[in-house]
Amino acid sequence: MRAAEGDEDSFAVLVQRHNRSLLALARGMLGNPQDAEEAVQDAFVSAWRRLPEYRHSAEFSTWMYRITINRCLTMRRRRRPPPLPLDTVAEPATGDARSQPARSAEQDAATEALSRALAELDAGQRICWILRELQGLPYNEIAHVTRTSEQTVRGRLFRARRSLQEAMGPWR
Amino acid sequence: MALDDPQARPSEPPDADGPRTSPIDAGVPPFAGDEVLPCGRLLSRVWEQARDAAPVADPHTVTCPHCREAVEGLATVNAAAQALRAEDPPGLQALADRVMNVVRAEIRLGRLLPLADPDRELRIAESAAAKVLRQAADLVPGVRAATCRLVPAGEGADVRVTMALAAALDRPLPDRVDQVRQSVLDSAGRDLGLAVTAVDITVVDVLESWPPLGPGDPTGGGT
Repeated sequence: MRAAEGDEDSFAVLVQRHNRSLLALARGMLGNPQDAEEAVQDAFVSAWRRLPEYRHSAEFSTWMYRITINRCLTMRRRRRPPPLPLDTVAEPATGDARSQPARSAEQDAATEALSRALAELDAGQRICWILRELQGLPYNEIAHVTRTSEQTVRGRLFRARRSLQEAMGPWR
Repeated sequence: MALDDPQARPSEPPDADGPRTSPIDAGVPPFAGDEVLPCGRLLSRVWEQARDAAPVADPHTVTCPHCREAVEGLATVNAAAQALRAEDPPGLQALADRVMNVVRAEIRLGRLLPLADPDRELRIAESAAAKVLRQAADLVPGVRAATCRLVPAGEGADVRVTMALAAALDRPLPDRVDQVRQSVLDSAGRDLGLAVTAVDITVVDVLESWPPLGPGDPTGGGT
């Protein structure tokens, strides 16, 4: 991998390739877009600095998932007051030309409710759920990213689903 | 990606009474808080199957009212998750640009050293840190720093300083070198926040013009 040898153009390609999924991951973990962008930016810069340490034993994406997750966990520990005051919740993504064709207000609210419920989950469960449900990673890869067994991943997923189902009860 | 909405039911009718798996999914250990449905299936397995496998793969789950109910219980979560997946985060290009601006700036700055604040991953350019530490050495009377290099020491944020300097000979060199070392360590911690583990000092030259001549004292000598 040429980026590991300090080729910034190769690194730019990697950033383009992975920033969407990492941003979704960070968004799920942190619950708000500003913090998520900060976390992903920090994760990429950190990865650039640590490229000489990057051994090809893991996929670059797995390595990046780990760095991003650690970054998000650090940010959550240092975090300011609880997330998402209610009146800012429904604000749509600022004037992005590619934003979705009008989603119903009810669906927006349900999505927000899911984000909030996600924020309440234990970090291990939240990570597994996001990697599985939002990123579509197979169990073995989630186990690899989180350095646990597939059985642990599946147990966390089950408990995450259970908690989310309860939290989303009022929306049924 | 097996991320299709599980609510999408198969259009073809399932095989009437396909082979039933034994009650309480044989060989599958239940997870803490798991539940055995009245049909004998584990709730965790039913949810997994609904997300991971094509529904036709197991006819039982299509016909069994308990399994159906269990899967429908997750429908709200799945629908909201699908909406989350579909959200295209704004500012992707701006984010990539910011990352690459930082990367290119670091390439221009040369080697960066970690500050002793691992949570924030702050860095300082070696050249900037060296300038501050040379000034700290110069604060010691009878000393002029020549070169200063900083290198990471081992894992973490530890840094080792190597300095070459010129010193006057009006006092024993070991005392003066100790003073320089202390001044450099103090400045590294106080002014920069660097975790310096060692300061290696080499005296490479003698400072002849010491003590300096006072401006109003053409004959030389101290005041």
